[in-house]
Amino acid sequence: MDALIYTVMSGAERALRAQQVHANNLANLETGGFRADLELATSAAVTGDGYDTRHLAALQANAVSSAQGAVRQTGRELDVAIVGDGYFAVEWAGGEAYTRAGAFALDADGMLTVNGRPVLGDGGPIVLPPFARVAIGNDGTISIQPPDGEEMQPIDRLRLVRADAASLTKNEAGLVVARDGVELPADETVVVKSGHLEGSNVSAVGEMVATMALNREFEIQMKLYRSADAMADAGNRLVRG
Amino acid sequence: MNPALWISKTGVQAQDAKLQAIANNLANVNTVGFKRDRVVFEDLFYQIERQPGTQNDDNTVSPSGVQLGNGTRLVGTQKVFTTGNLQTTGQAMDVAIVGIGFLQVQQPDGEIAYTRAGQLQVDADGRLVNAQGLPLVPEITVPANATSVTIGENGVVSVTLGGAAEPSELGQLTLASFVNAAGLLAVGDNLYRETAASGAPTEGNPGEDVFGRLKQGALEGSNVQVVEEMVDMIAAQRTYEMNTKVLSAADNMMQYLAQAVR
Repeated sequence: MDALIYTVMSGAERALRAQQVHANNLANLETGGFRADLELATSAAVTGDGYDTRHLAALQANAVSSAQGAVRQTGRELDVAIVGDGYFAVEWAGGEAYTRAGAFALDADGMLTVNGRPVLGDGGPIVLPPFARVAIGNDGTISIQPPDGEEMQPIDRLRLVRADAASLTKNEAGLVVARDGVELPADETVVVKSGHLEGSNVSAVGEMVATMALNREFEIQMKLYRSADAMADAGNRLVRG
Repeated sequence: MNPALWISKTGVQAQDAKLQAIANNLANVNTVGFKRDRVVFEDLFYQIERQPGTQNDDNTVSPSGVQLGNGTRLVGTQKVFTTGNLQTTGQAMDVAIVGIGFLQVQQPDGEIAYTRAGQLQVDADGRLVNAQGLPLVPEITVPANATSVTIGENGVVSVTLGGAAEPSELGQLTLASFVNAAGLLAVGDNLYRETAASGAPTEGNPGEDVFGRLKQGALEGSNVQVVEEMVDMIAAQRTYEMNTKVLSAADNMMQYLAQAVR
């Protein structure tokens, strides 16, 4: 059998799966703090008999885009957006993982959570005592006004980290983690803005164009499929006489 | 089948839910004491096909892997408890809560429900009730010969009885607060019920501790911002559209494949 059809197959397979990455990005266009996945392909040469023309495409999809999402004002004290680079730390599977989602909520015990996961402060999960008012400062310091007092008192500080986008990847829960699995050190220079929320950093136009391009790429691969098929068929007819 | 189909489906479904929340918010623009709902999404779990850092051979590890997302998921709706606009109505039985706290009413099944809507009325028995006729807790009864009712900032209800020069005190309105008000269950009729997520209510007098003060003759409007909802609506509609575009692109790919094989 001609090797062409296998080369075509790897191209078609790559287009199909890359579509999955773009579909996921577009599905999360409105997910707060979502970081777009980047889809990359590398060529893998197949060595062996024949000419050196067979390079199969292999999908690589684990890079996380570090572009800023659109920040919008919400006015809610527990909505926090990170300005520039940086991540919030949340508890995940006994360790910690990182996220840009900043729509914090309190649970029944006053624990600060985001999407149901405890948000970490300087000393583990942050628990707020009863308060009349809460404020989160630019450096992540959480202050409350106690019910019986007038003055704001700092009680904890958000654990904020920063890392190079190339050293980050996503875990199966969609949270960002370091590629080498170690915990990132706290970074004092990360700036947050309370009363604001960051949307997803997916570029709708980019994803749409990529979808269209992949669609056509797949079509071309299918044309090649048919050519390979036609060539094999022609050979068969020759043999039959 | 092409997984992109199912992934786009989650996106379409999510926007559908969002549109429903927006429609409800907009429908309640003029509902007294209404708090807007906000839909929160989360990316679905990832399918890790090859973990980055796997050993290629003795000396090299692969620098990258393949992780494919599965779409988006509706985590829940969050009630946003920012303060609504205060409207001065001049009605003696209207009260607005300026700050934290809920008025408590007793539902027909005996359970206590919580509300921010302060359109109070007096029922046939003289009891203070909310707009639906549910009696306030603690119960306050206004005598038939009362000429005017005063509700103080601290929640003390007093009346002037016909012929008397001095007002007489009827009782004290109390407020309830929750650690996590966003966790309350909205049951309609401007009412909320306590849940495991909201925590137990703390009761107190208006103006004390964390509780807000009461303002007679004013009402708290809905906290829905019309412009924001409209912008959200456009975004939701377009996101919906783009997800359906991917859906049809994925379908096209399947069609090309079907045509390629004989």
